[in-house]
Amino acid sequence: MKIVNYIDFLRRNMKGLVRVLIVYLIALVIFDVALSRHDAHYMIDKIYAFWTIFGIVGCFILIKVAKGIAHLFLGKNEDFYG
Amino acid sequence: MDRWIHPAIFFFIGALILPLFRGKAKKFVILLIPVLSIIDVALMMEGVYGSYSFLNANIIFGRVDKLSLVFAWVFTIMGFLGAIYALHVEEDGHHIAAYFYVGASLGAIFAGDYLTLFVFWEIMAFSSVFLVWYRKEPKSIAAGYRYLLVHVFGGLCFFTGMMLYYYKTGNMVFDKILPANAGVAEYLILAGFALNAAVIPLHAWLPDAYPEATVAGAVFMCAFTTKTAVYVLARGFPGFEILAIMGTAMTVYGVFYAVIENDMRRVLAYHIVSQVGYMVAGVGIGTEMALNGACAHAFAHILYKALLFMGAGSVLYMVGTAKLSKLGGLYKYMPLTMIFYVVGAISISGFPLFSGFVSKSMIVASAHHEGRIWLMLLMNLAGIGTFLSVGLKVTYFAFFGKESSIQPKEPPKNMLWAMGLTSALCFLIGVYPNSLYVLLPFPVEYHPYNLHHLSEMLQILSFTGLVFFLLVKKLAPEDKMNLDLDIFYRAGAWVFMKIDEKVISVLDSLWGEAYRAVGLSLLFKNARLSYGFDRKVIDGVVDGSATAVKMVGFVVRRLQTGRVQAYIGLALFMFFLIVWILLVRM
Repeated sequence: MKIVNYIDFLRRNMKGLVRVLIVYLIALVIFDVALSRHDAHYMIDKIYAFWTIFGIVGCFILIKVAKGIAHLFLGKNEDFYG
Repeated sequence: MDRWIHPAIFFFIGALILPLFRGKAKKFVILLIPVLSIIDVALMMEGVYGSYSFLNANIIFGRVDKLSLVFAWVFTIMGFLGAIYALHVEEDGHHIAAYFYVGASLGAIFAGDYLTLFVFWEIMAFSSVFLVWYRKEPKSIAAGYRYLLVHVFGGLCFFTGMMLYYYKTGNMVFDKILPANAGVAEYLILAGFALNAAVIPLHAWLPDAYPEATVAGAVFMCAFTTKTAVYVLARGFPGFEILAIMGTAMTVYGVFYAVIENDMRRVLAYHIVSQVGYMVAGVGIGTEMALNGACAHAFAHILYKALLFMGAGSVLYMVGTAKLSKLGGLYKYMPLTMIFYVVGAISISGFPLFSGFVSKSMIVASAHHEGRIWLMLLMNLAGIGTFLSVGLKVTYFAFFGKESSIQPKEPPKNMLWAMGLTSALCFLIGVYPNSLYVLLPFPVEYHPYNLHHLSEMLQILSFTGLVFFLLVKKLAPEDKMNLDLDIFYRAGAWVFMKIDEKVISVLDSLWGEAYRAVGLSLLFKNARLSYGFDRKVIDGVVDGSATAVKMVGFVVRRLQTGRVQAYIGLALFMFFLIVWILLVRM
């Protein structure tokens, strides 16, 4: 399968891939800052790159809280119910 | 078309005649039935059909309008895709259960009154449970019974509400209920519907049962029960504030569990809770745009969720487990399955060009329009969790990540075809959103492909990806099961059994002992007493009276001499005796 070869190629060139992705992320933020905000009604529509911050903070909190609670008391052995 | 044919009929007849066929003919019939139903839906005109009077109630089998049609479209299409995916399944019973399930869902969405709806509602529960039981493992049998019990409870809520509603209004017509008019009856019906929509805290049956279903059964189950519930909520309860709040809570609750679960299919099951949450919230917001969004999302969701369950099912079918902690590096051996799964994953996450982008955003945007900023933010937080768990976590740990020793093959051709077709539909809807929007109940003025929306979604998804790769070690799957609210009835049942074992059975044996010591000896004494009474008194009386009769007979016999003069003499003697008695007594 060709697709397997492509994936293997990308995995061998991780550093290059990471660089491309970082450029892409920066471009996204610039794109959002450049967007017009004339018809913004609410506060969140006016903040530059609001969804970038939201994505980072939200994802971080979600992982920390979910894993934290799972380790605290939700996670049980698989035969918990017998 | 003047005459209306109920599309459920194809499935019910199909289920009945299926065992008559063998080999290729059977496979042909399995595929033909849903194709016929799709053609039937395509030819259908709006109107009210199949209306009968029964027990003072008006029974309506066919209320065909835009709202029921959009669900009929996706249900019949899903019936077809599911049939392809299940084509290799040998057991007739599995196909029959699936057909009854699909047919009953169609019956429910066309029902115009509560009674018809209730009947199909129950057929759905009782046919779908077989899709769990056909897995034939002890865990599945137990999960199936729990599923059934919970649904019977939901059905009873619905039934009680329905009866109270009839008592209150004198009719059974199932139509829009205004929040201001809702009383106990309406809220009981709402509770019954909400249970099927897996609204928290009535959701635990879903992640309990679906991961234990058969590989093909789960594909059917993820489509119909919750989406029928979304339909009835959209039909009966639009604009109920509680639905907007609970729906949004569901979106976050589902992804929360999806982040920590280990089993692929359990992750996906929790995502049903999350995704149905968007639809329930859309119904709760209740504007035309929000209701459109709920229907569009139900349509898109059925396809991509089925696709994800097909992908996870393929892994389970070929590897024997769907636990992420035991998988890894599958892209080398199952590249097609991986591509199809990823199409489903980016559709559910809402990537541009795929179906989630054009459907989910309608609901989020309607919350935004209505100024419900908190609901919108929480829904977007759930969007982060969706991409994080289904898109990144499962894909990474199953198909990439550490190499595992397993080297499975691709699943059978029919499974690949089903996944390929479903992927194509997800892409088609994403690229031509109007193909979906024309089916929606209200005119659509929403354009998903605007720069702000593109920028918003790409930022959310891309930066979620960034945080995932920074924290990937934190997310490593663990061989654990996570407690959910089903603990109340599962542990409740366990406590009940313990009480039964420790208290009731001890009391029972104590009672047995007491009975043996006191009761039995009393019983013996009583028996002896009545034996004596019978022997001495009853027999005495009976025997005595017999002896008396014998004696009388002996005396009387002596009088019967046969001589007439003796009789006359005796008669005269008696006559004088009577006269003397009368005279003396007077």
